[in-house]
Amino acid sequence: MAPTTSRAKSNKNKSSSTSIRQLEQAATRLNSSSASTTAVTTTIYKTSTAAPVSNIIRAPKLNLPVYSYAIWLEENQLKRMAPWIAVAIAALVRWIVGLGPYSGMAIPPRYGDYEAQRHWMELTIHRPIREWYSDGSKWWDLDYPPLTAYVSWICGFIGNKINAEWFAWETSRGFESRDAKLYMRATVLVLEMLVYMSAIVAFTNRWFANKPWTRQHTALMLILLQPGLILIDSGHFQYNAVMLGLVVWALNCFLVDQDVLGSISFCLALAFKQMGLYFAPAVFAYLLGKSLRQGFFGCIWKLTKLGLTVILTLVLMFSPWLQSQEKILQVLHRIFPVFRGLYQDKVANIWCAVNVVIKLREMFDIQELVRISTLATLLSFLPSVLHLIARPTKRGLIYGLINSSLSFFLLSFQVHEKSILIPALPITLLILDEPAVASLFITLATFSMFPLLKHEGLFLQYAVLLGFWVWLTRATAHNTSKFLQLLILLNLLVITTMHTAEFMLEPSARYPDIFPVLNSLWSAAGFVLFWIYFNYRQFTLVNTPKMGFRVTKTAKLA
Amino acid sequence: MQTSLLAISIALKVLLFPTYHSTDFEVHRNWLAITHSLPISQWYYEKTSEWTLDYPPFFAWFEKLLSMFAAQADPKIVQVDNLSYDTPATILFQRTTVIISELVLFWALQRMLAVMGNHPLQKIISWSLMLNPGLLMVDNMHFQYNGFLYGIMVHSLVDAKQGKLLRSGILFAALLNFKHIYLYIAPSYFAFLLRAYCFENSGNSIRARSWISAFKPLNFFALGFSVIVVFAASLGPFIAMDQLPQLASRLFPFKRGLCHSYWAANVWALYSFTDRVLITLASKTPLGHYLDLSVDSSALAAMTRGLVGDTAFGVLPTVTTQQTFILTALLQLPGLISVFRKPTFERFIGSVALSAFASFLVGWHVHEKAILLCTVTMSIAIANLVGAAPQSGSGAGSFSDNKTGRLLTPRDVRSFMIVSLAGYIGLWPLFFTREETPIKVLVTLIWFITIGAGLDQCIPKSLLPSNEAGAFSISTRSLLRHYTILERLYIYGWVPLQVYVNLIHELIFGQESMAFLPLMVTSVYAAVGVVYGWLLYSATYFASNKVKAQEKKK
Repeated sequence: MAPTTSRAKSNKNKSSSTSIRQLEQAATRLNSSSASTTAVTTTIYKTSTAAPVSNIIRAPKLNLPVYSYAIWLEENQLKRMAPWIAVAIAALVRWIVGLGPYSGMAIPPRYGDYEAQRHWMELTIHRPIREWYSDGSKWWDLDYPPLTAYVSWICGFIGNKINAEWFAWETSRGFESRDAKLYMRATVLVLEMLVYMSAIVAFTNRWFANKPWTRQHTALMLILLQPGLILIDSGHFQYNAVMLGLVVWALNCFLVDQDVLGSISFCLALAFKQMGLYFAPAVFAYLLGKSLRQGFFGCIWKLTKLGLTVILTLVLMFSPWLQSQEKILQVLHRIFPVFRGLYQDKVANIWCAVNVVIKLREMFDIQELVRISTLATLLSFLPSVLHLIARPTKRGLIYGLINSSLSFFLLSFQVHEKSILIPALPITLLILDEPAVASLFITLATFSMFPLLKHEGLFLQYAVLLGFWVWLTRATAHNTSKFLQLLILLNLLVITTMHTAEFMLEPSARYPDIFPVLNSLWSAAGFVLFWIYFNYRQFTLVNTPKMGFRVTKTAKLA
Repeated sequence: MQTSLLAISIALKVLLFPTYHSTDFEVHRNWLAITHSLPISQWYYEKTSEWTLDYPPFFAWFEKLLSMFAAQADPKIVQVDNLSYDTPATILFQRTTVIISELVLFWALQRMLAVMGNHPLQKIISWSLMLNPGLLMVDNMHFQYNGFLYGIMVHSLVDAKQGKLLRSGILFAALLNFKHIYLYIAPSYFAFLLRAYCFENSGNSIRARSWISAFKPLNFFALGFSVIVVFAASLGPFIAMDQLPQLASRLFPFKRGLCHSYWAANVWALYSFTDRVLITLASKTPLGHYLDLSVDSSALAAMTRGLVGDTAFGVLPTVTTQQTFILTALLQLPGLISVFRKPTFERFIGSVALSAFASFLVGWHVHEKAILLCTVTMSIAIANLVGAAPQSGSGAGSFSDNKTGRLLTPRDVRSFMIVSLAGYIGLWPLFFTREETPIKVLVTLIWFITIGAGLDQCIPKSLLPSNEAGAFSISTRSLLRHYTILERLYIYGWVPLQVYVNLIHELIFGQESMAFLPLMVTSVYAAVGVVYGWLLYSATYFASNKVKAQEKKK
């Protein structure tokens, strides 16, 4: 949104009274001219129903289909029902995607993520709680933190009441039926609606509180239709949305300065999925930076409060396994399995890309690799974290979340291709603040998961959702610099070429993995560029909100 | 061009590819095979599959066109003996043909916008039709080509609106040769074209003596000749081969019984329901003895079996084919007379809807899918009305004046929404698989809220009581503010009813026993809504005609 920003800058330099007069003139001009145009293209907003003319301001028009829809909703007095409709649409899309295959469907002996989740439900309802992490049945060990286990227990408990066959001890290993699939899909959707979608509704309410309602709703629709999360959670089968939803709830609390509640929510996210740690440096830095600004005693008090909150939440979560050191170590060993290797399959991070040329795994042993990757990750998120400690703004926090999670994705040990969903979350939240960049990132992130989705037979869903996303966010390109537009086009071109090539050509015997490797190389290169860009953005953030429509700010002066 | 509408509808419909498809999928695959592999003389005799070709010849030719591509995509699709062939590639191919053929509807809607005005009301109707829950369920899940056929119908109606009556008539004649269900509305077309095209049409009724001088023989022959040419192109080859009786027996299987496999939401559903209630009263309570009801024992057996095609009545008199025909004609007559007396487009489209209703409500062996004929024609009738400017006032005064016609009233909206809701929920039992339950519920719900609210806002403020005209935010309660208490109760009544049908029934009775009960309550409750909506619509239609006539007199 470069033009808007530059206009806003020039506005700021003038005295406020001139800019208000200009605004009034613009508003009157607009008022008269739009009378002749059709309803849908109108962009006049009233800050309140009884506002005088001077308060009628023009927010920059977004050339987005969803935006036109939001205007239509507003004109038809549907604002109060709109979030419900949005959630209904999001649920509909997810359910339809869920009709497709899931991870490891009908692939014995080990099946896939679906079987893992189903087995955990079986495990938790049939074993005593202390044995959850030490059960040695060698069948999809529980390797997620306790909150996942508790949620599994609830899902298993209800499912067991409906049909005991789905989660029967040992005999249900690899059990598949249409009804069981239906139940599992329903648990994903219900949890996502309860945790994630509610969090997004609250977030857009808060984040766009001073902006026109249409923007808020546009953001809500776009965030809910982000293809990556839909494909992985409702297609591939996982519960990422629960962890991400808890992170967004934490963010919502931080936005209204409820830091204790936010920490609790964030700890719950960590206790649901350890990958939430990708965000931890940024959250820590933000809270530390904020505490440091409260004077000596204020700082001590706030840090104690937050520290106690974190410890209490985690202790509560892990309490069943705390009675002996051996037990808790067993749990931690399960959750952080360093023995699995530097990365899984082909993942679009730096290690996998470097590995094409230098065979790292042959040069170093696993302990060294852990140390190297940890150090690299640390160095990579350090600048962002230090900046956040020095300037703990709310906007900075979101950029911090992006930078720290991207660092983890690119450089940490044992990364899944699905983990790109973690940096994708804060970037998606900035969909209207960084429209072109966010759209491009999501496109690339979804593309980077293509080998996995193709393997699972989700090609149709992938193609439709990604194509739809590109179309939904395409119009943002109008407000973008030529360079970014070019990048977006280039990316689309490369993606289409690769898909066409993969569809038309057989990979040669010498390079059977050529297409996944090319995919991960292209994606990794892109993600590195994004890491640079978002670091740059964080460091150049002005302390005041930089939302692209300063006009609102000037109007406030009046 | 409404690119957003096109993009959203295509994306949604492609996503629906993996949903449940009914036997109609195999029906159409079989027809691809028949038309591709067999000579024309065999088309209506082939019976390897139980799904014989029972659409008119134009549709067979349409299938032949598709089969050329099908043979390229996968030669196994077009093998006659390759029954129940539904590989992913076959599904991909056939589902894609549905989406592509539905572009005809999209094109027709763009023409509708151009002719009837590109205003909020008309735009809402175009969205409502392109993303219609009924069409989505029947075409893109269940599997049929209705979007394509309704596209032709809308083209024909738009032509009629434009005054291109000959083209409208030719298109409709072609449509009849695609799918003979459109015979339901043929009487209205006949009355309208005869009166408006073959007689002098000054907008006033013709006096008894001047009928002959008003007759336009040239137009009459042009229309008659064109229609005959269309029918000759379609039926000619079969007449030449002396296959007409065979073709007719395929197209009109009157042996099938009064009601379809589960009851369509029409008068016969109510009739059968009353019969069932009377049987129960007669056999289980002493009441039957007092009322001296005699129960046919074979009907009793049919009842316990559930719903069967051949409906037998235990207490009430059996209905014959002839009776349904006479009833249908009687119900259609008032609309036909009104259009014949004064052939305006508004009366025409109204009478088309009334004809569709009459056939749906009391016709012989009506499919539940035929409700689409009522809702689609009602949609076009609403698009022909004049709506209000949106609240923001941006377009105020720009189009309410330049378009003459009847204003949209709350009654139009109410009857349309009630019939649509009842009709579409009446389609839900087509999808008995649990996977599709959230889809059908959400699609219908989202449609009802957005289209209901959109139409609500299109009602001109001058038609509302002053306390309702102000701006306020719509909530679930105020969404139905124009509806009477009984109508609201009816709409809310769907919620517990469907919760019972989809969830509680199975918990109580299991999957097998009393399977007819959920189907029956859905059909009967939907029938109540459709009949009510029809009465409301008829009242609006005849009342508005009367008001206009009175205004003229003054």
